[in-house]
Amino acid sequence: MDGAGSVQKMSGSVVGAQRLGKTFGDGSVVALEDATFDIRPGSFVSLVGPSGCGKSTMLRLIAGLIGKSSGELMVHGKSVEGPRTDVGMMFQKATLLDWRTAIENVLLPTEVSRTVTKADRKHAADLLRMVGLKDFLFAYPSQLSGGMQQRVALARLLQTGVDLLLLDEPFGALDEFTRERLNVELMRIVTELKSTTLFVTHNIAEAIFLADQVFVMTPRPGRIAQIVEVPFDRPRPLSIQTSPEFNALVAEVRDILGEDH
Amino acid sequence: MAIAESTLQKGSGGISVRQRKMLTHAAIFLILVGLWEIGSRTGWLDPLFYPRPTNILRSFWLIYIANGNIWFHLYATMVLVFAGWLAGSILGVGLGALVGFNPLVRRFLKPYVIVLEATPRIAVAPLLIALLGFGAPSKIAIIMLVCFFAPFINTLSGVVNVNEDRLELFRSLGASKMQVLRKLVLPDAIPVIMAGERLALTAALSGALVAEFIQRDEGIGSLILIYTRNLNMASAFACIFTLTIVGFLIFRGMERLDLWIAYWKSETGMKRVGARRARQMKGDI
Repeated sequence: MDGAGSVQKMSGSVVGAQRLGKTFGDGSVVALEDATFDIRPGSFVSLVGPSGCGKSTMLRLIAGLIGKSSGELMVHGKSVEGPRTDVGMMFQKATLLDWRTAIENVLLPTEVSRTVTKADRKHAADLLRMVGLKDFLFAYPSQLSGGMQQRVALARLLQTGVDLLLLDEPFGALDEFTRERLNVELMRIVTELKSTTLFVTHNIAEAIFLADQVFVMTPRPGRIAQIVEVPFDRPRPLSIQTSPEFNALVAEVRDILGEDH
Repeated sequence: MAIAESTLQKGSGGISVRQRKMLTHAAIFLILVGLWEIGSRTGWLDPLFYPRPTNILRSFWLIYIANGNIWFHLYATMVLVFAGWLAGSILGVGLGALVGFNPLVRRFLKPYVIVLEATPRIAVAPLLIALLGFGAPSKIAIIMLVCFFAPFINTLSGVVNVNEDRLELFRSLGASKMQVLRKLVLPDAIPVIMAGERLALTAALSGALVAEFIQRDEGIGSLILIYTRNLNMASAFACIFTLTIVGFLIFRGMERLDLWIAYWKSETGMKRVGARRARQMKGDI
């Protein structure tokens, strides 16, 4: 898979950006500057960096939730002009609806776009089983733990059937153990579904562990300092984090981020 | 384990803690009523204003069974309460939603809402009678005025205070305004609207009594007025205690309704509706 991206033209990539920039206020606050990149279909990209480096801004630009200030941004070969339904987003908060069972929450995206069919319900149930919630299909959010709620949110994201997933620190509010387990499952699922995934985090090891490519970002102004290729195949075991190659990558990213890290 | 638990639960006399508490409550109640009875008999309490509990009991028997005259008035009051409450609720929830969804309307209506909130609404009652004449319409209008405010304010705040994250979720799914309203805003506002309705129903009972005090034609309010005028305090007390029971039943009924409608706020509610959803989808999954 490595090297294939460089041959592909921008039209072949899922997300393509040329000198993309975003300023807030009267233009004095530069959230993102001069970002140029191509994201290959089915690849996993981590955006890592300290707060204020523009990683969340970039995700929201791609989702069309905010408009760009300069440059070019293409998703699925089309310029991003507004909120789009062919990308799926997931946040640190699960944002489930309290009055709906897990499966009804998963069915929400379908319900919004069309009439729910028998097949949709089956699909939603299968997704919940896939994220490890087979016994909680009809549980309400308040009956689920934080980790389980995020699993429901992930199933809901997958229910949309989109092949581009934008994850903004999805497991950031969970404890270390739950987060690690969910990361492993996320990797298994997106690898199996061949989804293109953008994953925002401020944890360097997590960023490298999950991704094919790590966009290392620095703040003031927010920009992509360097794109680091991760040479391991996915899915990969947790134990890879103790290998010398892995630790060399961590050191490399840390080096790019500067002495703050 | 079971033995340890049962020893914890049981008091020394072999009865449970709960039973012992109930007995204590009953004993205190009987002592208080007994003191009242004795005080009233000995003249320590003026029997004109504090009729003997036994006389009140006799009045209960008279107005409910022997004469049975309270039923007509009780029915009249209850019809009034529910009609007024319903009218007030529809007005309150409707207006609350309307104002909540229109920032422009909200801005211009706000000063009037504040003025209305500061005015004791019962003061307007005589004006309403002057406007609508004696009879049911003016009574219902008085109750509406008294009880519309809580549903109005609660609906307004429920509709306005929608969780930003959820709103962004719906936006990212490409939901229409109508879908946001039906699938997010309304369900989200239900618990707080229900809390408003509970206040409104209690207010409606007070409003109905005031309306009946003013109009004196029928209802428990006029009955209390008649009995006090005739210095039949025992029967007046029987009417008041009737209202206590009605108020309690209304409160309990609303609690039930609340649990029924805002089912996700209680374990039993979630169990009930969750099980129903599971049955409904059983064939599909």
